[in-house]
Amino acid sequence: MLDSKIPAGPLSEKWTNYKTSQKLVNPANKRKLDIIVVGTGLAGASAAASLGALGFNVDIFCIQDSPRRAHSIAAQGGINAAKNYQNDGDSVERLFRDTIKGGDYRAREANVYRLAEVSGDIIDQCVAQGVPFARDYSGLLDNRSFGGAQVSRTFYARGQTGQQLLLGAYGALSREIERGSVRLHQRCEMEELVLLKDKDGKERARGIIVRNLVSGKLERYSAHAVVLATGGYGNVYFLSTNAMNSNGSAAWICHRKGAYFANPCYVQIHPTCIPVHGDYQSKLTLMSESLRNDGRIWVPKKKEDAEALRAGKMKANDIAEEDRDYYLERRYPAFGNLVPRDVASRAAKERCDAGYGVGSTGLAVFLDFSDAIKRLGKNVVEQKYGNLFQMYQKIVDENPYETPMMIYPAVHYTMGGLWVDYELQTTIPGLFAAGEANFSDHGANRLGASALMQGLADGYFVLPYTLQNYLADQITVGHIPTDTPEFDEAEKSVRQREERLMNIKGDKTVDHFHKALGRIMWELVGMSRNEASLTKALTMIDELEKDFWQHVRVPGNIESFNPEMEKAMRLADYFELAHLITTDALHRKESCGGHFRTESQTEDGETKRDDENFMYVAAWQYQGYKQPETLHKEPLNYEHIKIATRNYKN
Amino acid sequence: MNFTLHIWRQENAQAQGRFETYKVSGISPECSFLEMLDILNEQLINDNIAHPVCFDNDCREGICGMCGLYINGRPHGNDDGITTCQLHMRKFNDGDEIWIEPWRAKAFPIVRDLVVDRSAFDKIIQAGGYISVTTGGVPDANATPVPKRLADMAMDAAECIGCGACVAACKNASAMLFVGAKVAHLAMLPQGQAEAHERVKKMVCRMDELGFGSCTNTYACEAECPKQIKRQNIARLNREWIKQLFAGNHKPE
Amino acid sequence: MDNNKIIKISSITKKLLVALFASFLLIFLLFHMTANLFILAKDGGDAYSAFCHFMGTNVFVKVFEVVLFGCLILHLCLASYLWFQNRRNRPVGYHKPSRTKTGKGSKLMMITGSLLLVCLIFHFYDFYFVKLNFVKGTYMVKTEDFMVSDPSMEVSEEAQQTFMQLINEGKTSKDMQWIREISDEQRDVLQAAFPEAEFEPDFYHMARQKFSVWHIVLCYLLFFAVVGIHIRHGFQSAFQTFGLNHYKYSRLIEILGVVYTWVVILGFAIVPLGVFLGL
Repeated sequence: MLDSKIPAGPLSEKWTNYKTSQKLVNPANKRKLDIIVVGTGLAGASAAASLGALGFNVDIFCIQDSPRRAHSIAAQGGINAAKNYQNDGDSVERLFRDTIKGGDYRAREANVYRLAEVSGDIIDQCVAQGVPFARDYSGLLDNRSFGGAQVSRTFYARGQTGQQLLLGAYGALSREIERGSVRLHQRCEMEELVLLKDKDGKERARGIIVRNLVSGKLERYSAHAVVLATGGYGNVYFLSTNAMNSNGSAAWICHRKGAYFANPCYVQIHPTCIPVHGDYQSKLTLMSESLRNDGRIWVPKKKEDAEALRAGKMKANDIAEEDRDYYLERRYPAFGNLVPRDVASRAAKERCDAGYGVGSTGLAVFLDFSDAIKRLGKNVVEQKYGNLFQMYQKIVDENPYETPMMIYPAVHYTMGGLWVDYELQTTIPGLFAAGEANFSDHGANRLGASALMQGLADGYFVLPYTLQNYLADQITVGHIPTDTPEFDEAEKSVRQREERLMNIKGDKTVDHFHKALGRIMWELVGMSRNEASLTKALTMIDELEKDFWQHVRVPGNIESFNPEMEKAMRLADYFELAHLITTDALHRKESCGGHFRTESQTEDGETKRDDENFMYVAAWQYQGYKQPETLHKEPLNYEHIKIATRNYKN
Repeated sequence: MNFTLHIWRQENAQAQGRFETYKVSGISPECSFLEMLDILNEQLINDNIAHPVCFDNDCREGICGMCGLYINGRPHGNDDGITTCQLHMRKFNDGDEIWIEPWRAKAFPIVRDLVVDRSAFDKIIQAGGYISVTTGGVPDANATPVPKRLADMAMDAAECIGCGACVAACKNASAMLFVGAKVAHLAMLPQGQAEAHERVKKMVCRMDELGFGSCTNTYACEAECPKQIKRQNIARLNREWIKQLFAGNHKPE
Repeated sequence: MDNNKIIKISSITKKLLVALFASFLLIFLLFHMTANLFILAKDGGDAYSAFCHFMGTNVFVKVFEVVLFGCLILHLCLASYLWFQNRRNRPVGYHKPSRTKTGKGSKLMMITGSLLLVCLIFHFYDFYFVKLNFVKGTYMVKTEDFMVSDPSMEVSEEAQQTFMQLINEGKTSKDMQWIREISDEQRDVLQAAFPEAEFEPDFYHMARQKFSVWHIVLCYLLFFAVVGIHIRHGFQSAFQTFGLNHYKYSRLIEILGVVYTWVVILGFAIVPLGVFLGL
């Protein structure tokens, strides 16, 4: 039975109550406790910095050459916080409600409320760290608005908010490294989680095996608790806005060891990405959601215009105002271009599928700034979005000040992840998950500028409390040795897996299989799914996986710097993960947020939830390779909020 | 498009390196430089010719700072204000010979092929490239107004992605632009004042220890910085250094 | 970090010193150039000689001279030290030469600097070493030094002849205070007779002589060109090193640098050219 450990009391007092009644570790004892943090993104870096500052011994791992490369750095638009600096009616309560509603009523109330509650502290913390947020002429902080909200609560640092927040956390982390409380391990990838039985026979997460990516050697690390902050698994789709090295393996390894995986089918497709242009393409580039503040999205009203555009016989500017279909403004008058991401993405797909798409592939819509330039002047637009425009021009070689940008949805974020309770602990005692790696706060769809908020909330303000609560009774355990049979066994299993891959010596590259998997996932488990497509996907994934284990070629040696080996290990896990995503999508017969089942839609093509049957978190338990996973349901009880149909029309 | 690539191959840090020549053909002009290398690697694996070329890359949208190749005599290739991953093949001519080398600097030892170890940058930041606040107990974000002009200039400096192109371009392998950007970013904000002297002192000393050169004001760093961070940040670093020279230490009794 | 480590001179401090010493030299160049312009004055060298006399005898100037040489030596020692150190920071170079778009000035500093040192030695040989009595040159002396106060003193025939020859050849200043253009043999004769007489180098006539030879003029023009290249970079570089560069006025510094460089080069070049062309 899943126990989400939500504290008693009214919603607004739960977190305060928790903090006042939780167990603490005294400063002298903190020194005796080791913590492993995997991942140096916003959640990982902020957690390690905060825990190190408290006095714990922290080991932090990242796969890149520096903690500052984590993919949080690529977040562009901003970070939400209920500061109400704009006097436009924002409050903790409203941020909470927006987030729950944005998540299509599939998130846990208590977690979301806590997130909204600490959001303001995050901004204070970041400003104190020297994050150069945008300011207005008074010298006070500026805000912009983002999808799914009717207030301006998004703080930003040009188009590089993620970068600046990450560098803030990286600074805090660097300080702790210099002080000696945190030890940094670069170019190390987690390959196995080690569980040890304590004297009561209870299995706890006690260590990890990592592959030193430079030497290829396996290394052992032990700790009293393990924090996983390894991000999402969007790269299962091959083409996504995630970084090339972002992967779901660490989470999947924990899942194999017993951590439940929750809501894997909730994948966010971001509406404003640069469209795909060729089959050699390695990744998709996101254009910040903030562009939808001033840009207007449209396709031609007439099919023949769309065809002419695709054939290159016409240019966007040739189409008269009355022949343009601003479909978001038409369908959703209240929110217009600022509807949540899932809604905007599906609307774009709907238009393109109906034959109104533009670009050479027909898989693109226009994002037009000509009105904004007319209204605000080119200078203002340049100030606000200059770097994004420049980025677009570098990639596409077209000037977005003159011709409208072309955009299309792409996989961006995964709301699903390791199941965690209120304390962010997974079903494995001592294993915690933070940031995108867990499932907790965004329900079936994440609002823009909430990922940064969640990552930092988990790292700065949640884990430092809840970890102490867990560690309070671990002070007598003492240092955990790594020369035990459990570690030997774990290391052996990793080495065997590597050898197995190396010995296939097939004739196809890892990327070949990854691209094939991506295509299956995008076509059949993408923006819209149905029973037929999902069933088909299951067989196709299995076939591809079989093919992979017979025909993949991993060049080089195991014990050397070998990126192909890394990719192969990750892809092997992706097959299993893809299978679970599809299974979850198949079982959830309703549509909600990012999960759109064509069988379950309203007459005008909107998501239709089935609250009676699916108002729960689907947490899957691993049962062994190729064994059907067991579904556990955590019912979602909305005590505070009134459940309604998501409505962005009026 | 077809290209002849001369790529630096080196098995590991100790091994002797050499240039190897490969040919790629049928490359689309819309293809990015790293995608072109992906195609080459695919070819090398499929034909079982050689170990695929190792090169660092991650976000492929110009923000993580992971990629960095010295292409035909220029860090990040022949375009201004971009990272290697943002370089597109349309910037080359069909049939071009392309020389691809790793960053060269004593402080950036080679890991394999085109991959270098830039942890020296992390060590410089660890020396003091931050404001020492612990989590919690900080004032309200709007308690201290920061003039927009300063906030904007701080942001200009803070855009540094730590890719190392400045070091790679500099004839002295100097990291002054990297250090200058961080020092300037924090020196311009009121929050950064408290430890301004200590910060510049520690960061510059760490920079010297790690084997970076000194600045001879050539400004190659500025010319090659993918985020176009300006030389004025180095001037500010020097200014902060002078201030610190005259500030004197607090000597406890 | 312990403070002892920090006391060791950092790369920035070394650069600051290089720039500081260079600034002295930059200021000196302006003085030197202004003084040189007197050579072109149509007064037969009176003003210039008076100036040289002042420079050669004033105590403050002598102190300044020592400081200046100190600056020069420290500037080139520190700069070469940094140059050698910097070369060590890239043990393996690039195969492809750099195509980064930058000014060439800074990359040439070591070359132009070394060239300047060579030129400077020749320049010293031409002029400054005469003052130090290392080499022979042309001299001048105050007429009053030959006023014989002691009637019993015997003046040799040879000295009298030499003296008369100089007077007859009109080698005196207009106010008759100075006798100039004295060759070293003449000086030796006169000095033997008048041990008290203080001979000074006659830079005016030395310059006039040298600059009437075309290849010397050409060498000097080349010398000034190298000076120009060196200070064109050095001027704004010093500002940058002192931290005196800001978005607001970096353009101004750039312009000042160009103006300074041209003023100095033209100011210097006009003298040998003018002499050669008989202006």
